[in-house]
Amino acid sequence: MSNRVVGQSVPKIDAATKVRGQRKFPQDFNMKGQLYAKVVWSEYPHARVLKIDVSPAEALPGVVAILTSKDVPVNEYGINIVDQPVLVGEGEKVRWLGDRIAIVIGESEKIAQEARQLVRVEYEPLPVVSDPREAMKPGAPLIHEERGDSNILKHVKIRKGDIEKGFAEADVVIEKYYLTPHVEHAYMQPEAGVGYIDEKGRVTVIAAAQWSHDDLHQISHMLDLPLDQVREIVPAIGGAFGGREDMYIQHLLALCAYCVRRPVKMVFDREESIRNTGKRHPYYMKYRTGATRDGKLTAVEIELISDAGGYASTSIPVLNNAASFAAGPYVVPHAKVDAYTVYTNNAVTMAMRGFGSTQPAFAYEMQMNKLAEALGVDPVELRMKNLLEDGSIALTGNPMPKGVGIKETLRQAALGAGWREEGDQWIKPDLGTPSAPYRRRGIGVACGYKNVGYSFGFDDKSKVIVELALDESGEVARALVKLGASDQGMGAHTALAQIAAEALGIDYEKVRVALVDTSVVPNGGSCSASRHVYMSGNAIIRACQEAVRKRQEALRTGERRVSVEYEYHGRSVRPTTPYDDENGMCDPHISYGYTSQIALVEVDVETGQTEVLKFLAAQDVGKAINPEMVKGQAGGGVHMGLGYALTEEFIQKEGLVKTRRFSEYHIPTVADMPREFIPFIVEVPDPTGPFGAKGVGEMTTLPTAPAIISAIHDAVGVWIDNLPATAEKVWWKMREKAGMA
Amino acid sequence: MPTLKMILNGQEVFVDVEAGDLLADVLRDKLGLIGTKISCGEGECGACAVLVDGRAVDSCLYPALKAQGREVTTIEGLGQDNRLDPIQQAFIDKTAPQCGYCIPGMVISAKALLDENPHPTRQEIEEGISGNLCRCTGYYQIIEAIELAAERLAEKGGPK
Ligand code: FES
Ligand code: FES
Repeated sequence: MSNRVVGQSVPKIDAATKVRGQRKFPQDFNMKGQLYAKVVWSEYPHARVLKIDVSPAEALPGVVAILTSKDVPVNEYGINIVDQPVLVGEGEKVRWLGDRIAIVIGESEKIAQEARQLVRVEYEPLPVVSDPREAMKPGAPLIHEERGDSNILKHVKIRKGDIEKGFAEADVVIEKYYLTPHVEHAYMQPEAGVGYIDEKGRVTVIAAAQWSHDDLHQISHMLDLPLDQVREIVPAIGGAFGGREDMYIQHLLALCAYCVRRPVKMVFDREESIRNTGKRHPYYMKYRTGATRDGKLTAVEIELISDAGGYASTSIPVLNNAASFAAGPYVVPHAKVDAYTVYTNNAVTMAMRGFGSTQPAFAYEMQMNKLAEALGVDPVELRMKNLLEDGSIALTGNPMPKGVGIKETLRQAALGAGWREEGDQWIKPDLGTPSAPYRRRGIGVACGYKNVGYSFGFDDKSKVIVELALDESGEVARALVKLGASDQGMGAHTALAQIAAEALGIDYEKVRVALVDTSVVPNGGSCSASRHVYMSGNAIIRACQEAVRKRQEALRTGERRVSVEYEYHGRSVRPTTPYDDENGMCDPHISYGYTSQIALVEVDVETGQTEVLKFLAAQDVGKAINPEMVKGQAGGGVHMGLGYALTEEFIQKEGLVKTRRFSEYHIPTVADMPREFIPFIVEVPDPTGPFGAKGVGEMTTLPTAPAIISAIHDAVGVWIDNLPATAEKVWWKMREKAGMA
Repeated sequence: MPTLKMILNGQEVFVDVEAGDLLADVLRDKLGLIGTKISCGEGECGACAVLVDGRAVDSCLYPALKAQGREVTTIEGLGQDNRLDPIQQAFIDKTAPQCGYCIPGMVISAKALLDENPHPTRQEIEEGISGNLCRCTGYYQIIEAIELAAERLAEKGGPK
């Protein structure tokens, strides 16, 4: 089949309304008679709430209601483990700063704002646990006494081959410790929305969300209402990156509407958004990697400790993912992994682009580059000797499914950067002259891979309805695709519309994708794990094929409408399995995307400042449904990876937040980005993907930091093993190296 | 309440404001122009950029009354007779918007830049949007869109 729409960079389905400023985001909704709500946040990272006095706030004219824990029918929620109170009541504990004491609802935003400052809360401070390595120790103060006698949420074990034997076979062993920081999602649209009671009496929320059908379950539990009495509508989302997979405002809006039976609007300001919502997990990573003299990996021994913060969120699935990717996209015959995630009083940590595959990518790629240096082998060549291929046995003992494109991504990136391939040898390019005498040039390489779809035996599925409207002559006049797939900005709806147009054999312009409204669309699953193109794309293709058949019938009967519902299950083609308790062997993931990146940098030896001159990013997406959108994902992934490498660190001291605004938490501006950016689209098809497609969103950020940090080492000879590599950190390291520290 | 009079998107408007009101809030809440976005609320991201007498300002910091008697252009005021401004069209053609939350501010900054400097170098484009943060795109397609708009405008004989 030759594709007419798939593979074309058609305009994004929502681009025109976005450039006109017409597209409505959650803060753009207003309802008649609406009230305004503000949250009273915890002032301590760990404390017992002794007394909540709302009377001075209540006395303020215009205050309509002040909600406390007593107003919540079932005062608990949680995406994975139900361990979070919606509001913390008297006698109960706050476990991080983002815990909420009360919600103040008033006639205007100003009144609500003023009233929240009048709520008096007395606390008894408790010892703060801010380092997961301390929190793991027996006798550490417990964050969740009700959950047993340890702060350790989960320990994942992988035992592959014979680790002693593996290290005995090694000629070189590299042992290092790595640390990655808390990272803020920093989507540009802060949390906002409206809660109200709809015309059918349903508690309804308009807000940004990544998986509204899952929010619905949590909200119905919290309000003790049947599922059909709650509803969520998702308008345009101003970025998410994992940060809207948990509820940070949805349930609060629902609670407000439920309690006061009037529309209630709530908008977080930037400081609230940074201080009180989840982050990417910091990981503390101990790596020991062995290889033979000729560059074959023999063994890895890994310890991962992740900081879950005050509540579990998705820390366990993130850890599961991290462990399964801990050895990188390489064949390693002998391996031992121990991975832990641990409660602390730091910020809650959660999904963020990569979902646990980003942190180990920093460590395993730094190890590879150190190994290359120790062996005196080119870093591209060393990787080529060890990279996964179709059928290779991965860390968890499973053969890799067909479509492993990692070598091809590295080949394209390396050739693009000027490497020469001579037989099995790879020869690094000349880097040219630095732009000033006090600057040094360096180049760095890194790879990564990421699952597509939900893993470890989870029944990942997507349900879709495709409706056709036929014209007089029986041609398809319009097609409507209904599914609960949030488009957080990456273009999911555009890609899915392209897939539908292709499968129906109609023009892209004739396809509409319905607004996500749980009262209208079926559950398409989460907008995460880079999964919609693969999972929902597969569902749409099958629904469209059925719709095409049904249209033939309609032509006979004169019917003008065709409607098909289809639910696609990932396990129908690739069943996954959970970790074995003893040795961790399993078949963890449905599908994978692969990536390689190369950074050329200049480091100022007087200041330690790094400038990335040129960046090459190759991603194997199986099939680019929309090549310009793939490039957009690459640019965005590299942006986030560059921030991870050089500028971004969400800083807490004893659980208190030090970086509350963009002038303190630095996401890269245009001036920080690599001057030259060269994306490569690699298409090694996954035979089970729609048109061979895999996924793209997350993996583009994985190798960026290790590529840049290795380039810094190439330039000035220092290794920065704890991110980010700020100018100060690089400067100190250079002094240390020169023996001046 | 003082009355603010301004030329908003080519039309004279009168609106009652309080002394401390900020232009962004007046535009969004009193005039319903939701295309102007608020992201940081403190002058650090450019999402709220509008043109005041042709220059891009952060409306989240700009006192509404300071716009007294001035010409204010928001994203809704770009383009004519329902046709897109060439900058907006170029943003679509280059797949520049992802989530789109930064995009009105980006387009406004680009408009201010190209009105002032119709043939910017890449460096000048970067400077022109250096006050606009975007978390989605890495900025590349936004830069390409502005380059494309400049090219197209040059063919047509300059902006406006
Ligand atoms: S919202 Fe005005 S500069 Fe950020
Ligand atoms: S497109 Fe999302 S912030 Fe720029």
